[in-house]
Amino acid sequence: MKILAVCGFGVGSSMVLKMTLDKVIKDLGVTGASVENTDIASAKATDADVYFTSAELAPDLKESTSKPVYTIKRYMDKNEVGEKLKEYLAEQEEK
Amino acid sequence: MANKLLTEQNIQVIDNASDWQMAVKKASEPLIKSKKITDRYVQSMITSVKENGPYMVLSDYFALMHARPGDGVNQVGMSLLVSKQPIDLAGKPVKIFFIMAAVDNNSHLESLQKIMTIFMDDQSYKTVLDGNKKQIVNLFAKMEE
Repeated sequence: MKILAVCGFGVGSSMVLKMTLDKVIKDLGVTGASVENTDIASAKATDADVYFTSAELAPDLKESTSKPVYTIKRYMDKNEVGEKLKEYLAEQEEK
Repeated sequence: MANKLLTEQNIQVIDNASDWQMAVKKASEPLIKSKKITDRYVQSMITSVKENGPYMVLSDYFALMHARPGDGVNQVGMSLLVSKQPIDLAGKPVKIFFIMAAVDNNSHLESLQKIMTIFMDDQSYKTVLDGNKKQIVNLFAKMEE
């Protein structure tokens, strides 16, 4: 499972989101997941299984991928990121 | 390496500021003085919040202030301003203004990751919020060990 953390400039926010995702993945004991981070322009051309980004950037990203895009309000918030990741994992199980 | 970026002269603690733009300007002062960034970068950060909203607020009270790499940046730089009173940033209360100036998309990432590890540690985060400058400086100085 490839997860892409996306922010506007690819400078800092997306890396923080990646760090939070890495922590959450470890805490939840999810196996076979890798997280990368990038800016919005590169993200549109990068294939991933699921995308995490801000509410501001999500509409733009959704236009260029058919894969699920989850919005995160607070990139450092383990609880919020964890809930969204669980939501994604639950949906995958249903399929 | 990271601790050389966030040293005592780049860390400030204040009681309050009139608004978030003043706080961002004040937080940027050490980087302007050392010529790592120009006023242009400070303006870019402010414009980015006005255009895109408070997405740089990554957690309660924490803003990772930044703009496009290279534009108004001479050299990689980081600075920190802690306000004891929360300051409204486009609807979100912020006490920690962490300025990140990058020259490109990756040369600063290793340093940033080390510094963010400290901010993401609950205990250290509390120490920063407490606003004791000496303790904050020590927190980041310890990183090299």
